[in-house]
Amino acid sequence: MDIPSEESVKKVIGHQFPGGEYLIAHWENFLLTECTGAQALPDGMAHPVALFHVPFLGANTSIGEMFELGQASSEFSIGIESYEWEFYKPLMEEELYQISGSILEVERIDNEDGLFDRIKFQFDIRQDRQDIARSTIIWHYNRGRYDRS
Amino acid sequence: MTEVSVGDEIPSWGMPCVERSRMRTMAAILRDPNPVHWDAKLVSTLPLGVGERTINQGPLGLSYMINMLHAWAGPTCVKRIFMTFPKIVLSEDVVTAKGVVTEIGPEGNVTCDIWLEREGVRLLEGNATIVFPEQG
Repeated sequence: MDIPSEESVKKVIGHQFPGGEYLIAHWENFLLTECTGAQALPDGMAHPVALFHVPFLGANTSIGEMFELGQASSEFSIGIESYEWEFYKPLMEEELYQISGSILEVERIDNEDGLFDRIKFQFDIRQDRQDIARSTIIWHYNRGRYDRS
Repeated sequence: MTEVSVGDEIPSWGMPCVERSRMRTMAAILRDPNPVHWDAKLVSTLPLGVGERTINQGPLGLSYMINMLHAWAGPTCVKRIFMTFPKIVLSEDVVTAKGVVTEIGPEGNVTCDIWLEREGVRLLEGNATIVFPEQG
């Protein structure tokens, strides 16, 4: 398998996603919350797990595009290093949010765990210029071997 | 604020069965194209040694710990959560979210180590900062 050059992978540093708006529909939050095994939260609150998908869909990107930007060889080559979610206000159903996102860092790692590129994405959710939440995702793009997904 | 001390254990939260149907619904909501979350036969061909099972989405495992924190401190308690994923969670797993208080900070911030385990083995590990709702 061809391994992309470090230089070519690092070209995405600073990449800005198009950005946009997102509204968590009631049906979406209902199904999402059921998936977690929890009961619906009160007062139209969205389950905080929405802070995984709302940022990238609202920023007008997708998991598939994020794989492609890092030149993933397949879906199976992606591993999760960490997710960090910060909530300044609770996420709510049926409210419109403005989303922006970018790629902050790319680092090539070659150690006992293998060869991989560590890519850090950050997304911000705002509403009427007020910060609502931030999601920071670090994925490993493994090169040349299967790994955890 | 509820009386909390460093070293207090957070009441655990159990997921009695990680269901494939929930992974499929989650994949649709996330628009996640990765077949490891819905194609057990394909997973069995990967060098993971897990047989015909599907792999739970990372955020779903994380959500079990959020549910634990909500049950303990209320639905608005989570201010920050950081999670790592040293091991995978599989369909049909029985998992338990656990945690312990590590620091009481200013303005009522409570920092906790949190984790998800299966038969005593930690699958996900991280920490969270929470705030109890004001009372009165």
